[in-house]
Amino acid sequence: MTGAAAALARTPGRLRSLRTSDPVLTIAVVILGLLVAASLAGRLIPGLNDGTTTVGGRFEAPSLAHPLGTDSLGRSLVARLLEGIGTTFLLSALAVLCTAVIATALGIVAAYAGGWVRELVMRIGDVLYAFPAILLALLVAAAIGPGSTAALASIVLVTVPLMTRMVCAAATDVARRDFVTSARISGVAAPVIMVRHLLTCVSGTVVVQGTYALSVAILVEGGLSFLGYGVQLPAASLGLLVSEGNVYLLTAPWILIAAGTTMVLAILAVTLVGDALRDRLEPREAVDLT
Amino acid sequence: MSLLELDTVTVRFGHGARTVHALREVSLAVEEGQTLGLVGESGSGKSTAASVALGLRAPDAGEVRFDGRPLRRRRTAGEMQAVLQHPMWALNPRMTVAASIAEPLSVRTRDRAEVRARVAELLEQVSLEPAIAERRPHELSGGQRQRVAIARALITRPRFIVFDEAVSALDVSVQAQVLQLVRRLQAEHGFGALFISHDLAVVRYLADRICVMRAGEVVEDAPTEAFVAGPTHPYSRSLLEEL
Amino acid sequence: MSLIEIDDLVVEFRTPRGTVRALAGATLHASAGERIAIVGESGSGKSTIGTAIGALLPANGGFAGGTVRVDGVDVGTLDRPGLRRLRRETLGFIPQDPIATLNPTMRVGGQLALVVRDLGGDASRAALAQLLEEVQIADPADVLRRFPHQLSGGMAQRVAIAIAMARRPRILIADEPTAALDANVRREVLKLVFEAAEQTGATVVWLSHDLDAVAKWCRRVAVMYRGRIVEDGPTASVLEAPEHPYTQSLLAAMPSRLRRGVEVRTYTEMLASQAGEPDDAEVGA
Repeated sequence: MTGAAAALARTPGRLRSLRTSDPVLTIAVVILGLLVAASLAGRLIPGLNDGTTTVGGRFEAPSLAHPLGTDSLGRSLVARLLEGIGTTFLLSALAVLCTAVIATALGIVAAYAGGWVRELVMRIGDVLYAFPAILLALLVAAAIGPGSTAALASIVLVTVPLMTRMVCAAATDVARRDFVTSARISGVAAPVIMVRHLLTCVSGTVVVQGTYALSVAILVEGGLSFLGYGVQLPAASLGLLVSEGNVYLLTAPWILIAAGTTMVLAILAVTLVGDALRDRLEPREAVDLT
Repeated sequence: MSLLELDTVTVRFGHGARTVHALREVSLAVEEGQTLGLVGESGSGKSTAASVALGLRAPDAGEVRFDGRPLRRRRTAGEMQAVLQHPMWALNPRMTVAASIAEPLSVRTRDRAEVRARVAELLEQVSLEPAIAERRPHELSGGQRQRVAIARALITRPRFIVFDEAVSALDVSVQAQVLQLVRRLQAEHGFGALFISHDLAVVRYLADRICVMRAGEVVEDAPTEAFVAGPTHPYSRSLLEEL
Repeated sequence: MSLIEIDDLVVEFRTPRGTVRALAGATLHASAGERIAIVGESGSGKSTIGTAIGALLPANGGFAGGTVRVDGVDVGTLDRPGLRRLRRETLGFIPQDPIATLNPTMRVGGQLALVVRDLGGDASRAALAQLLEEVQIADPADVLRRFPHQLSGGMAQRVAIAIAMARRPRILIADEPTAALDANVRREVLKLVFEAAEQTGATVVWLSHDLDAVAKWCRRVAVMYRGRIVEDGPTASVLEAPEHPYTQSLLAAMPSRLRRGVEVRTYTEMLASQAGEPDDAEVGA
């Protein structure tokens, strides 16, 4: 049995077994939870989000009053960081959602149609995939002007090819199966088959690839904003904060340390969760007895 | 007039010098309510013949007729069904047994009560417990899955069913159960069948007429009694001696 | 003393859903040079008994009772080097899916050379070609250059036989070696297995589900059902006058013996109806 076959043979209830004894995964989930909670807190709790208010002198080192110090305008870095995490996560999540919709639709249609449609979709994906992610992102930013929209579009463009390819591969595997043939023979309409059979069977792949896309998204947002083509001041994002930290590296190293660490932790946590999801939803081989 | 006819059908794969003939001017016919057994080893073209008969692949030359008219899949939806090879993949693992069986009917009716009643009726006909309706394929044995696949094929009261290696992956004793079931159901429903297998013994048990394929060509086509009594082609004879 | 002595063997597998008993007290003795077929359906434990002879159980399985002796040595008590020696010097395996058991990244010639060199033999091109000729491969030079995925099923099985026989094993275990092959290739491969064993005097343990095929090659057959050997005797008498009801039902279910109008029931069904249970006992298989 192929990996996909084994994955399909499992019920969605398998997800519940994500509660596991693996300490690394537990830490990853906790970090991710904290980051999401922090980004929400930054938006929801008034006062915490006061990134625009000057609370102290410029470049104050971390202290009890300002745990992470202050930035070039004397704003609390905690508040800036919370806003930054929020922006980055929201932007990345929105972009990955777009990617998931586009890639799933493309992948499933290409897999079901087969032939030249599939070839065309795959080859366009190959071309996009061949560009270095950041170069592609810069091209988009140059074309539509810097800003959040550019960052979002870049992330989508960078993550769609791989995800389409993975969904298409999984869906092609399903499309060959007897139950799809049976449905075709019974006269079930193609769109119905795609939703009823292909979509339900590749949902695991979509979730796993979506998680990987999320970590790529955080990285791309960081890169673009760092280069000044992504999120624009006075808003904050992890990439912008890293960029700012880079400028004041010698006077206020805590800015870069805080922003950089957060970004690394976020990407690491998302990737680890993705790995765990993949092991649960797409095991490479079935454990079969006798 | 035959129920289903392949009339000098040719199917080619590939292009130019690498062209492979999967079927070479193959003609065969399935009569109403009768079973045509199609025997051959892998690569003989028997599975290609099945997909041509089901309208899944258009022939490069020749014609396929259903009920005397050229085969169009949309027109024959529901009149034609298939039970295919792999018990693991016969059913969508994410769907309940009831939903799988009901699927062909969903094309025709939206009446839920009617669908439910038919599903219950068919589960009984293929000797499965009513409780199985709510289970998913991974909770079933290979034999049970193949019974479900048969129930699904029967739900539209088709006039023609293709069985493509439908019992090959099953254990001997389960295989016997499914074969007996197919015979019983055919007596009750009177569908015409194209029964494809590499195993002559299985085909001999079910078929009214046996057709032997080799390398894309039909080498022998005779009523079962005549075939068993004395096949004319040396290849058929060697197959019979293997038993 | 028999070459293989399996006594009251119990093998259990740990699974997420609890312990599964694959062998429930199986007993089988085979002497040197004997050809014995073990017949059973999926879940009967025949593959487990085949792997138990070389203590080659999967990691989640283990002996939970009884003994396996090969040449008088209790396999269960052997340490790692001892087991390796047993597998290398005494046992040969012919797998069900030969293409999957060959290394996909290595040419056939390279893999054969590894085996031969390991045995201290002559790994020259000519010697390897000779090995393949012995398993009736028509164009050995060409096959040596191929990768496993470029071989047909029958060809790959011949290569697997050549690899197994290169060690001159005293016991040859063939686990459904023809399951993936076409009928006409099937006979040639079986002929090859038994002729090779004949030449070296190896004991053959053939795991099969096909009672009819077994009759042509083995004088002795053991029938397995649910982890036990339920019948063991000369093939002719087992086929003609089976004693155990399971063997009877299995024989009746052979497609070549099916008759129209004669209803055949499975043994599991018969047991279930005797016990007054519903007929879905198949699930446990």
